[in-house]
Amino acid sequence: MQMQSTKLVHVLIGKSILETVLVGALAVFAFITILPPYFHGWGEVTDTGISGWVVNNATPWDRVEVQLFIDGRFQATALAGEPRPDVSMAGWAKDQWHGYTFPLASLAVGYHEARVYALHDSGGGARKSLQLVGDPVPFFVAEDGKLVKPASR
Amino acid sequence: MSSEAENLEAPPNTEQTHWLALWEIVSVVTSCLIAEWVVLSFAGAGKLITTVPILLALGLMAFSHRERGETLREIGFRTDNFLASCRLLLLPTAAAILVIVAIGWFMSHAIFAGHFRARYISLPLWALFQQYALNGFINRRAQLVLGKGPKSIALVAVIFALLHLPNPLLVTLTFIGGLIWAAAYQRRPNLFALALSHTVVSMTLALTISPNLINSLRVGFKYFG
Repeated sequence: MQMQSTKLVHVLIGKSILETVLVGALAVFAFITILPPYFHGWGEVTDTGISGWVVNNATPWDRVEVQLFIDGRFQATALAGEPRPDVSMAGWAKDQWHGYTFPLASLAVGYHEARVYALHDSGGGARKSLQLVGDPVPFFVAEDGKLVKPASR
Repeated sequence: MSSEAENLEAPPNTEQTHWLALWEIVSVVTSCLIAEWVVLSFAGAGKLITTVPILLALGLMAFSHRERGETLREIGFRTDNFLASCRLLLLPTAAAILVIVAIGWFMSHAIFAGHFRARYISLPLWALFQQYALNGFINRRAQLVLGKGPKSIALVAVIFALLHLPNPLLVTLTFIGGLIWAAAYQRRPNLFALALSHTVVSMTLALTISPNLINSLRVGFKYFG
């Protein structure tokens, strides 16, 4: 039962490295599949709602489905297919049809925060994931129902 | 008995041998956990990539056997002690079947009422594979670390139970089964007899206990889906 333990140690180390690479590769693969880092966009408050644009750089000709959450609660869903020539002119998209608008009404007076998420399918529709587009959009609802941006710092 | 004892004798108990054997155990268990938890959760069931950690573990075990000069006969792939090993396992296996049948009767007033599934045909091979990994490899390495006896038997049982998380019933049953099979292997190393006992108990379990209680014998990430 004499053994060359050095060889066995090498095999054990090699196996550990391979398994680490496998687990790491699977983690990256799963992340890219479920939460792909290809969505770019922006959202801002207007007098009557939240509007912005979103592009999926992996499929730049597709229209992205977006969902609006106000103060963490789901409000509405829409397809970002409105014209935004400024977006394509700035080089963010191949065409101009990537805009979205969410009209807002009947919100309580005071401070709110809107978040717009891009919806992504994976696993042949078995999974759906949401990714924040741009930054959260803070705003106030005034007494007259108008939406107001907070004063910039 | 004496002729069988010779192949279970540990090599000189150097500290290096202990650590190396322990590392081998940890490495094989890690591969199993990666296959059950990581690959299945990231890649899903039925994907070829699921076999990668299993093949790595098999490769390590084969290499280790070669490096340590262990023969198939020593590992337990033999027939000369098959009947003796079966005799050793007969009572505990029969007792396990009776307990499972009693539980099944108590819970659903039926015996062997479950549906036979095509995948059960491969159960003997799957049982042989599990017994080889558990006893033909882990038990032998556990004996190098802790010596022959209760400590190494307990370690094997704990590992076997750990690999059946998070299924609570299977964890309990595999811990008990692990103790019995590991003890039997240390007395009569025969993997075919262990696989036979494993197959009979698993089949009884699958056909007797309600699937919602054992979740169709699922373990690891698959348990949830």
